Amino acid sequence: MKTSWVWILTFVGPALILLMVFLIIPIFASFYLSFTDFNVFVMTDWSRAKFIGLQNFVELLKDELFWKALMNTFYCLVVAMPVTVVLSLTCAVLLNRKQTKFKNFFKVSFFLPFVTNTVAIAIVWSWILNPSYGLLNWFLSLFGVKGPNWLGDPKWAMPSVIMLVIWKAVGYNTILFLAGLQNIPDFLYEAAELDGASPWQRFWYITLPMLKPTTVFVTTMMIIGYLQLFEEPYMLTQGGPLNSTLSIVLYLYRQGFKFFKLGYASSIAVILFLMISALTLLRLKLAGRK
Amino acid sequence: MGKTSSLRQVAVHGFLFVMAVAMILPFLWMISTSFKTPAEIFVLPPRWIPKDPTIENYRELFASIKFGRPFINTVIVASSITFFSLLVSSMAGYAFAKFRFKGRDKLFFLILATLMVPGQMTIIPVFLLLRQLGLLNTYAGLILPGVASAFNIFFMRQFIMSIPNELIEAAKIDGAKESFIYFCIILPLSKPALTTIAIFTFTGSWNSFLWPLIIAQDERMYTLPVAVSVLAGQYGENLGIQMAGSCIVIAPILVFFLFVQRYFIKGIALTGLKG
Amino acid sequence: MRRGFLILLLVFVLVTFSSAERILQIWAMGEEAKNLNVMAERFMKENPGVKVEIQAIPWSAAYDKILTGIAGMQLPDLAQMGTTWMAPFGAMGVFEELSSYIRDSFISKDIFFEGSWQTVELNGGVYGIPWYVDVRVMFYRTDVLKEVGYDHAPQTWEELYDAAKKLAARGENMYAVSLLYTGVFGNEFMPFVWQAGGRIFDERGKVRVTDPEFVEAIEYYARFFWEELAPIGGGNLFQDFASGAVPIFFSGPWMVSMIDQQTPEIKGKWSVALMPKKKTRTSFVGGSNWVIFNTSKNKDLAWKFIEFMTKPENQLKWYKIVASLPAVKSVWEYPELANNPIMKVLGEQLRDAKSPPNIPQWEEIANAISRRVEEVIYKRRTPQKAAEMLKKDIEKIVR
Repeated sequence: MKTSWVWILTFVGPALILLMVFLIIPIFASFYLSFTDFNVFVMTDWSRAKFIGLQNFVELLKDELFWKALMNTFYCLVVAMPVTVVLSLTCAVLLNRKQTKFKNFFKVSFFLPFVTNTVAIAIVWSWILNPSYGLLNWFLSLFGVKGPNWLGDPKWAMPSVIMLVIWKAVGYNTILFLAGLQNIPDFLYEAAELDGASPWQRFWYITLPMLKPTTVFVTTMMIIGYLQLFEEPYMLTQGGPLNSTLSIVLYLYRQGFKFFKLGYASSIAVILFLMISALTLLRLKLAGRK
Repeated sequence: MGKTSSLRQVAVHGFLFVMAVAMILPFLWMISTSFKTPAEIFVLPPRWIPKDPTIENYRELFASIKFGRPFINTVIVASSITFFSLLVSSMAGYAFAKFRFKGRDKLFFLILATLMVPGQMTIIPVFLLLRQLGLLNTYAGLILPGVASAFNIFFMRQFIMSIPNELIEAAKIDGAKESFIYFCIILPLSKPALTTIAIFTFTGSWNSFLWPLIIAQDERMYTLPVAVSVLAGQYGENLGIQMAGSCIVIAPILVFFLFVQRYFIKGIALTGLKG
Repeated sequence: MRRGFLILLLVFVLVTFSSAERILQIWAMGEEAKNLNVMAERFMKENPGVKVEIQAIPWSAAYDKILTGIAGMQLPDLAQMGTTWMAPFGAMGVFEELSSYIRDSFISKDIFFEGSWQTVELNGGVYGIPWYVDVRVMFYRTDVLKEVGYDHAPQTWEELYDAAKKLAARGENMYAVSLLYTGVFGNEFMPFVWQAGGRIFDERGKVRVTDPEFVEAIEYYARFFWEELAPIGGGNLFQDFASGAVPIFFSGPWMVSMIDQQTPEIKGKWSVALMPKKKTRTSFVGGSNWVIFNTSKNKDLAWKFIEFMTKPENQLKWYKIVASLPAVKSVWEYPELANNPIMKVLGEQLRDAKSPPNIPQWEEIANAISRRVEEVIYKRRTPQKAAEMLKKDIEKIVR
């Protein structure tokens, strides 16, 4: 029996209106901006913006820095995602055991990085990574290792950013996995133990398959999130040195809000959107097939 | 059976402990440094407990940066976003879970697709839109864009789907309208999910940095993260003050989380993330 | 009864309107904003019926704030405007052109330093009035330099290099100069170009960054990093200057009080000197100008405030409050400035100081310059190749 229009409008209406106004329409507007040469001279007089078709995209393809940003962002995704998943899953499994003590202490500690203001954390981290006065190199020196110039060396800057990203994400994802684990009925494990399955076998044949919906959720959200890397490089390195930590969104921000080239910046946004959608759909398709 | 080797216990707890310490360390450092004089900050090996502790940093902060207003702004903005988003998302979630109408699932997928859009893509058009509406630099401008959340709608829908249909059918037979069902059945049963969304949303909007940085440029409209960033710029060389500022930003949200965390973890489990 | 009430109402109305205030809204940044109300009080005393409202904006947020103010059309009457920001915001067409105001005023081009006046001229018009200036000079540890045989500050490029080598040779973790190498450091790098006799554009607007002078400047700058005379990363400017690890740096007058505050132990052990000489000793001049927004309803009042702040006695007063350098040349002859050894150096440097091209694309150009110089510093490119890439970058930007 179909619900009446009045109720549909009342309940779905507000959400839909807000989403249309603040998400869906802006998306289309952004699509449009990317076909114009909107820049500093146009800021107060929109009629000066010219329609230039695909020119921004052509420029983008030839833009060295854009490709660099692309590589940097994918570098982060490819490294951070597996590491985060492995670490979070491990911690979650360990926390799920009956025999583990101090569960609440661990849960709270793990959640702390996520809950914290990135600005504050970045300040702390940039000083921890300081080559002369910082915590990390001091710690390494206890083992006789001379720590590198984390944020000053183009080779180590991105790994530093990735470290921060992972550090923030592990706790949050541990708790997500924990929730997924808690939904797995105990009797499955008990039956397996009776059959003589080892802990590793129990993990592989019961835990992982039963965890699939959670894993799909977690990895999908991670793709979406990591490709939008912005706050960590913005606070730690502003994209340097040598643009080694320049992320796509950081580059977008620079073009749009430092140089006022909003048309060009919008074209970056369009490409990013297409990439995220494509990867997400791929991820979901792969999940569906198994 | 049921016997766990103490070696294994040590290994497990050791690993977890190391992870936990890694998570906590920056906070300890931050708190400690906020009570240090400039001379003590760069000492190696790092001093955890300052020899000459001082509250000068906090005093200086409250004197010159005026955290009062940004703090209040952040509270107002985060609370408003949370409240309105809870309302709007649970209503939509209910509709997508239990209502029947043509195109329901297609519409839901459209909403879901907005999750794949990076916030930065909409910043530029929304910024211009808010300018047209004259909402730049206002509370409305800070709040409204944050209320629309496909994530929250998705989450609520999942949860409400697990509420047994029989309950709703029974109420309908007794003549209940959708609004009654919403307020008296759905909402009470959704407390864990609502709490979960409240925490996510409140935390997210409290920590939000890019949006307020661009939209609220008036000192009076600064939110806490923006104020801290501004602080970092002004006192570039005085780390003690920067750390004190960071403590002030983090403290309220930590308190909030510690207080509510049990509901939160239960909430996720109950949603049954089975896709 | 009714008549009495009407009379009361009339009186009330008359009183309200006769004491109607005119409000002047000003945006100011950083340290200046904190102290501007002292001057505003005096102005209000001299101009009864006028209220001055100052909104303080920290520097780190100011750029975005002005941008959104323009986009949202929420602007004050008068604002402090950093010199390198004049061009981009000016291009948006929101500044009032001031030639007609200047004609009838004591304010004119000649009372200011040349480099400073360059920053208010846009497209042949005058869009601002200088308020205060800053200039970059060399800060150095007199005692540390003496230890390596320099009883005076290095005066030329060659002396600076020689002194640097000796300073760095003192040991591991010992350097000579603190220089910027990442992010956007166009303003810090350009002085070296000017000292070598180079420039970005010539009179016809052609890009001249591949000229030998420019390339020479790139190499000279990068060499400090190649030979570990300047540190990369880490460290804290004040701590390193105080400890003697990095005894030379280039910066502006605000550092004077900051050094005294943060590291008072080195009082008397440091001083300032002019930029080292290649062909000239040119430095970078910056500072802030006053701009009136053309949306203002109080332009004449805003101009009055500008005149007030430009009067030599008020420029001097301002110097005494905030120690920022007066933009008006004549003020430098007052004893407070002429007899102060550090101010003497700054005043002298101001006579040979330039500002970067006053065009809206300067931010993007500064970005490109920084990027290419950074590449040379990290030895990814030779100075010559970097200059060639830079030429292409800049030509693309100003197309």
